[in-house]
Amino acid sequence: MMILRSLMREPMHGYALVQYIKQRSNDLLQIEEGSLYPALQRLLRERLVKAEWKISPSNRRVRTYQITSAGKKYVEREVSSFKRMVEGITLVLSPSES
Amino acid sequence: MKWLKNVFRRKRMYRDLSEEIQQHILEKTESLVDQGMSRADAEYCARRDFGNVTGIEERSREAWVWPIVDSLCGDIRYALRQLRKNYGFATTAILTLAIGIGATTAIFSLVNTVLLRPLPFPKPNRLTWIKQQDHSLPGVIPASLSYPDYFDWRALNHSFAGIASYTGRTVALESGAEARHLDATVVSTNFFDVLGTAPMLGRDFRPDEEKPGNRAVMLSYSLWQSAFGSARDITSRTIRLGDHDYVIVGVMPKDFQFPIGSPAPALWISLSEDADGKDPRTAERGFDCLDVIGRLKPGVILEQAKADLSLIAGNLARRYPDSNKWFTSAMLEPELQRLTGDVKPAFRLLFAAVMLMLLIACANVGSLLMARSSGRSAELAVRASIGASRAAIVRQLLVESVVLSVCGGIAGVVLSLGLLNGALHLMPLSIPRVENVTIDGPALLFVTAVSVVTGLLFGVLPAWRMSQLRPSQAMREGFRSVAGGREQHRAHNGLVVAQTAISLVLLVSSGLLIRSFVRIQSVDPGFDPEHVWTARVELLFDKLNHDQHVQFYNRLLERVSRMPGVQSASAGWPLPLSDSIATVSFNIRGRAIAKGDEPSESVAVVMAGYFETMRIPLISGRRFGPQDGAKAMPVMMINQAFARKYFGDENPLGKQIQVELGDGVINRPVREVIGVVGDVKAKSLLAGAAPQYYLPYAQAVITNPFITIRTSGNPAILHGALRAAVHEMDPTVPVYQVSTLDAYVSKSVAMIRFQTVLLSGFAAVALLLAGIGLYSLLSYMVVQRSREIGVRIALGAQRTDVLRMILYRGSRLTCAGLGAGLVISAITTGFLSGMLYGVRPYDLISFAGMAGVLLVAGLLASSIPAYRAAQLDPIETLRQQ
Repeated sequence: MMILRSLMREPMHGYALVQYIKQRSNDLLQIEEGSLYPALQRLLRERLVKAEWKISPSNRRVRTYQITSAGKKYVEREVSSFKRMVEGITLVLSPSES
Repeated sequence: MKWLKNVFRRKRMYRDLSEEIQQHILEKTESLVDQGMSRADAEYCARRDFGNVTGIEERSREAWVWPIVDSLCGDIRYALRQLRKNYGFATTAILTLAIGIGATTAIFSLVNTVLLRPLPFPKPNRLTWIKQQDHSLPGVIPASLSYPDYFDWRALNHSFAGIASYTGRTVALESGAEARHLDATVVSTNFFDVLGTAPMLGRDFRPDEEKPGNRAVMLSYSLWQSAFGSARDITSRTIRLGDHDYVIVGVMPKDFQFPIGSPAPALWISLSEDADGKDPRTAERGFDCLDVIGRLKPGVILEQAKADLSLIAGNLARRYPDSNKWFTSAMLEPELQRLTGDVKPAFRLLFAAVMLMLLIACANVGSLLMARSSGRSAELAVRASIGASRAAIVRQLLVESVVLSVCGGIAGVVLSLGLLNGALHLMPLSIPRVENVTIDGPALLFVTAVSVVTGLLFGVLPAWRMSQLRPSQAMREGFRSVAGGREQHRAHNGLVVAQTAISLVLLVSSGLLIRSFVRIQSVDPGFDPEHVWTARVELLFDKLNHDQHVQFYNRLLERVSRMPGVQSASAGWPLPLSDSIATVSFNIRGRAIAKGDEPSESVAVVMAGYFETMRIPLISGRRFGPQDGAKAMPVMMINQAFARKYFGDENPLGKQIQVELGDGVINRPVREVIGVVGDVKAKSLLAGAAPQYYLPYAQAVITNPFITIRTSGNPAILHGALRAAVHEMDPTVPVYQVSTLDAYVSKSVAMIRFQTVLLSGFAAVALLLAGIGLYSLLSYMVVQRSREIGVRIALGAQRTDVLRMILYRGSRLTCAGLGAGLVISAITTGFLSGMLYGVRPYDLISFAGMAGVLLVAGLLASSIPAYRAAQLDPIETLRQQ
């Protein structure tokens, strides 16, 4: 989810993705950098992202991931269901109004 | 199918993935360097933050293919590498397995082709062998049908879609100046319809081609090719067989053959030819010569059909007591079962033997693997301690053993091809369909299954044991190589004992068969088959009259006996052990017997000089001579069994017997017994002597007797001379069935020889394998315990003590195996009793002898490692540790 959401903004390669997620989460999420790759492979398999080799701004050959239309739909669906779930949890957790 | 595509694309993907990861680490390193870290620290830091590269790559890959497929491939590659590395071990194991699997495959394809494969006709299980049962003698005796009986059965039954008759015949096909001898089958016109096979060219027989004058033939594919150049316009042409013209109606497909067995018929003749003449066979109810095959109607079972036909037979017996009195019921059997019933026990025995051999091979490789895996415990412990799961280790070990056995299986297929060709070539069998035996699809499937199963079988014990290892302990043990655990020794010993026991079972069985075979070989057939050459000439029955027949043979035999190297020459029919028997009824003068109750015994028609040529001894009276011609007093000779059965203590010479054999010239004369000769094994070497009587050829002309020639040296040179002599007398007369008399004798025991030789071969291999098993166990033990042995010697143990210790160990194992093997043998040899001749299944000599052989082999196998142990240099050994 996080990966797809990040890729919605712009296509990125693996290292950039890690940096971006770290930065967005204010370094709260201490993930093992490598664990990104199995996840990326699964997304590739589900055709939610596609990958191609490009030259990065720092003149480096990198494999850039781009979200597909299927990926976008998936994010929308998941985000809304996630929101509904959070809403539900909030309702349960908030003190009763009666 | 997606995963399959992934399998093929994955190489590129994996490359991309690892490159990507390398780039990631590089980029991170460089950014850290930019932040002021040293390169080494930065690299370290980048790797640490990234995590376990290999693990991550692995997990990433798992997204793409079935991880199991991938890791199996890995295991297989690893296993192959292991085998290449341990060349000696791999060769031994693969060879052992190849022998086991190869022999099993060879016998399997024999069993499959001969016994299991359905007959090559549509709905083959409805095809039924049909005979009538002869109730005149005790026992179940099948008898052929006569034409009138057959016609009645065919017309009156309600159970069969069709019943067809067939009977073998030989014909001479005139082609140019020469004549060719051909094997033909005379059939009813519904023959091909019953078998469910249509001709590939032309048409089937028409029903009216059973009527006199409508002679028609169907060609076999091979005759169509060889004699008619595969001409498409062959149908409706006329060919000349013997003295008559036949219309060719069609050609059968290439793979069609019936009757199955040899010789394959070259053509099929409609039974019209038996309906011709003033005294046609088709009208003779006593002339029982037909084989019959029926096709059951759908839904009718064999018992119903049998009851149906028996009812008809019973009615016929009441209506025609003169000829049918004793034939009151029908005998039916599925055709395939009938065809292969005789060889079933032998094949079952051989199959059981190879399975046992395969088991021994498995045990052998299993113990080899176990010995090796102890050496590998350190390696496996390392793998376990860096995280391989127990299942992964077991899987890898099992994959290794299956890879081994599949390699063994491949080698085994090659071996089985050689074994089949070799065995069948050296020991030709007259079993139907044996010529079709190859390693075909089912056989290959069988090899694959056997290979995988054996692989698992011998692999599972070592694998399970290795998975029980605790890494810490194993590493200590592995690096120091001390004696293996008690439990392992027990398993290993068990394997060796089992091997020994099984091989003893095989040895005892083969010992029994060998002794039985030796007995059979030393059976006196009653004649001397050595240096006798036999052949037949196709003399047309209708072309020459009775006297000309006799003269032709007299002239021919005279010429032959003048040839160099020929001691004597004669002719007779049937030859003993040639698979043909003729029985003709007779009545003894002065004994009142009701019509239809006359006794009947097997008869042979022979020329003067036959008994001398065959060396059948004359017991009393005189032999046939030139004086016993057509116009002389009718005479006959009998054998001792005949004299005993019918005359007891009376002197048989001079007795008068009327034989029911007419040939159109001499009609059922009363004959005088002029001599008694020794008994001859006519049917089989194993059977007791049966009563038999002989008629002189001139007084009972029959077609194409066997010419028998006794030579002083190698009879083979005669072949050409005989052909030339016949050709000179009449070029249209073909010579055929040229063979030695020895060959008939040897053919009559071919199946027994085949099973004896093969089983002995298997037993020998089993003995060898068991020996190797014991040898390798003890050698392994010596290596494992070399430190202990070294210490013992250093502490003053005598070398003979060490020698004795190892020998004792070996002989204890052998004796345990012997004990178990003797018990199992005693239980199993009972199954052999039907195959033994003159040997009891609990034959002491076989049991004791084979146990002795095995004991010697065991001692031999243990002596080498024992000697090696005794030669150990204690200083050297201890230093090595």
